[in-house]
Amino acid sequence: MTTATTEINPADTLRMTVYASLSAALIAAGAYMAIPIGPVPIVLQNFFVMLTALLLAVRWGMGAIAVYLLAGVCGLPVFAGGMGGIGRLAGPTGGYLIGYLPMVLIIGLIVEKTDKRMIFDILAMILGTIILYTCGVTWLKTVTGMAWSEAFTLGMYPFLIGDAVKIAVAAPLARSLRPLIRQAETLKI
Amino acid sequence: MNIIEIKNLSHRFANGEIGIDDINLTIREGEFVVFAGMNGSGKTTLFRHLNGLLTPSGGSVILDGISVADDPKRARRMVGMVFQNADSQIVGETVYDDVAFGPENLGLEQAMIAQRVSEALHAVGLNAHADKRPHLLSGGEKRRLAIAGILAMGSRVLVFDEPFSNLDYPGICQVLKQIVSLHHAGHTILIATHDLEKVIFHAQRLIFMKDGNIIQDGAPDDNLKEAERFGVRTPCATHFGKEPISWLT
Amino acid sequence: MADVTAFSYLTGASALHKMDVRFKLASMILCSLTTVKTQFAGLFFLTLVLGIILLYIRFPLKTLIRELRYFSVLLLFVFIARSLSAPGLPFIKLGFVTVTYKGISDGALVCWRLLNIVFTGLIFVATTRPSTLKTAVEWWLKPVPFIPEQRVAVMISLMIRFMPVILEQARETADAQKARGVENRKNPFYRLKKIALPVLIRTFVTADELSVAMDARCYTEKRTSMKLTAGKNDWLILGGVILLCCLMVV
Repeated sequence: MTTATTEINPADTLRMTVYASLSAALIAAGAYMAIPIGPVPIVLQNFFVMLTALLLAVRWGMGAIAVYLLAGVCGLPVFAGGMGGIGRLAGPTGGYLIGYLPMVLIIGLIVEKTDKRMIFDILAMILGTIILYTCGVTWLKTVTGMAWSEAFTLGMYPFLIGDAVKIAVAAPLARSLRPLIRQAETLKI
Repeated sequence: MNIIEIKNLSHRFANGEIGIDDINLTIREGEFVVFAGMNGSGKTTLFRHLNGLLTPSGGSVILDGISVADDPKRARRMVGMVFQNADSQIVGETVYDDVAFGPENLGLEQAMIAQRVSEALHAVGLNAHADKRPHLLSGGEKRRLAIAGILAMGSRVLVFDEPFSNLDYPGICQVLKQIVSLHHAGHTILIATHDLEKVIFHAQRLIFMKDGNIIQDGAPDDNLKEAERFGVRTPCATHFGKEPISWLT
Repeated sequence: MADVTAFSYLTGASALHKMDVRFKLASMILCSLTTVKTQFAGLFFLTLVLGIILLYIRFPLKTLIRELRYFSVLLLFVFIARSLSAPGLPFIKLGFVTVTYKGISDGALVCWRLLNIVFTGLIFVATTRPSTLKTAVEWWLKPVPFIPEQRVAVMISLMIRFMPVILEQARETADAQKARGVENRKNPFYRLKKIALPVLIRTFVTADELSVAMDARCYTEKRTSMKLTAGKNDWLILGGVILLCCLMVV
C-alpha cells in the first residue's frame, strides 16, 4: 500500500499544489495548537511556517503562506483567536502575519542556495525569525504608538525562548521529513 | 464483451520489489468480481494500473478496445476508483463541491455539471446533504460520497479498495447496498478485500491473489472453501457447510 | 472542535446573501480600506450603517460577543498604549504615567476604525457561503499576471477542507500521548517534537494520497469554474458602497 503510493507520480505541479494547500491548512490549524509549558504557551503556528519554508522552499512555501493570508483576508477563521478578516491584518498583530511572507522567502532562499546541512537550516530560521519580528514589532509600534522599547518588551522578548525551542526542534524534523516530500526534482523548476 | 483485458501485466517498484507479476485477466462488462488476498498481495497495485495511476513495467491493460497507456484520460473517466481512505479522497468543501470536482476537471458546462451532480447524489441518497461539509458526514456517508464523485464522471467500471474498512455495521450495509444497486444498474464492479464475509454473497466471481500473482479464479461457490490456504478467512457460513448469506437481509 | 471550524455563515435570504460574491468582496475591501482614513463623524455614520445591516441580517448577539472576545483584548491594549504614548495636554497624571486628551482621542479613533473593519468582515462572512468565496477570489485574480487563479481557488478549497481534518488528527495524537502520561514530561523540546512529528507525517501522507485521488479524478488546472452572475442590485449596492466611502473620507 505505502510502496504503491510513493511509486505513483502525479504531475509534479499537482503534488506540490496539494503539499502547499495542506501546509496552509496546517498553519491555520497551528493557530489553535499550543503546548502549555511555561508562562507563554508555545503556539505551533510559526513553527509550521518555518517547516513549510524548509520543506517546500521559496515558490511553494510562499504560495502556501499567500493562500493562508488570502483565506484570512476573506474572513475565514484561520488566524489565532478565530476572528479573521482584514481587521486582523490592520490590527496590532497584523505585522506578525504579513511578516510570514518575507520570513518564508528568506528561509526558502537559504535552503535552495545551500546543501541542506542542518547548520544552514538553523541559520535560515534565525534570520527568518529576525525578519518576522522586524515586521511584527514595527507594525505593533505603528498601530499602538508605543515607544520602541515597549513594543519590544511586549511584542518580542516573551516569545524568544519559545522560538529558540521551535528552531531547535524544527531543524532535525525537517531533516527526517525531507525524504517524505520528494521535492528534489521540483526545486529545479 | 470484455471491458477489461489485462495482458502479461507486471509491475516492479523503484526499490526492486515486485508488485504484480505477469498477470493475465479478462473481465466482462457487468461482472461483479471480488479480489481477495492478504495485505501486500498486489490487489491495490493491480487496480492502479486500470486507470493509469501506475505505469506497468511490462504488459498492458486494454479497456474496451483501447489501451490505458494510449489514453490515460479516457481510462480515468471510464474506471472510477474508491480508495481505502475516503477521508483523503474527498476534495470539496461541501458535498456538492466534491461531486462536482470530477466533472469540472472534464471541463463540462456548468448546467451539465449541476445535472450530473444531482443525479449522482440521488443515486447514493445524499441529495439532502448537498450543502453539508464532508468532514461532518458519517463513515458510510463519506464512502457513498466518494462513490457519487466517480458516478458523476460517468464511470462504467467501479473499483473499490477495501470499501468496508473502518465502517460500523449500518455503514457497511449502506455501502454494500449501494454497490449491489450499482451492479444491477449495469456497472462493472471490482472489489479488493481481505474480508469475504460481507460481500461474497453478491459476487459472481472470486479471484485470489498472492505475492503479486493470481492463483485462483472462479465462481465463489467453487473456490470459497480454499480461501484460508491463501491467507483469507472463509465466511462463517462456509465453515459450517452452509451457503453464504447476504448482509442485507 | 466544531466551534473552531464552524464558519460563521448564517443561512438566510437577505439581499446581502443574494449579492454576487465578487461585488460583496470588493465592497468589503473598499469599506475596510476607507475606514483607515476616516475621522469620527464618518466612523459614526459607518457604524450606524453597519449596525443596521447586522440587525437586518439578524446576526445573533451571542456570536457577535464570542467573535469579538479576543479582538476586544487587542483593542483595549491598543487604546491603553495610545492614550499613554501621545504627547499633549494631560488628562490625568498617575505617578509618572500621563494620560493626555490627545492620547485618549487618538486611541479611541484607532480602536473605532479597527472595530468598524471587523464589523464589515463579520457581515461579509455571515452572508457568504465559504464555497462560493473561492470563485470570487478566482475572478478577481484573473487579471493579475503570474498568478494561476484556478490553482489558487483549488488551494483555498483544499485548505478549508483539510483544516478541520488536521485539527482532529492533532487532537487524536495529543489525546493518545496524554493517555501515556506525556504531561509528566516538562521538557519543551521533547513535547514539541513528539506532537509535531506525527501530525506532520500524517499531513504529508494525506497529501500523497490526496494527490493520487485527485489524479484519478482527472485533475487539471483547465477546469470549469463556477459561474457568477451579477444583477442590477449588485451594481446598486456597489454604487452605494462607493458613495458611502467617498462621503466618509471627505
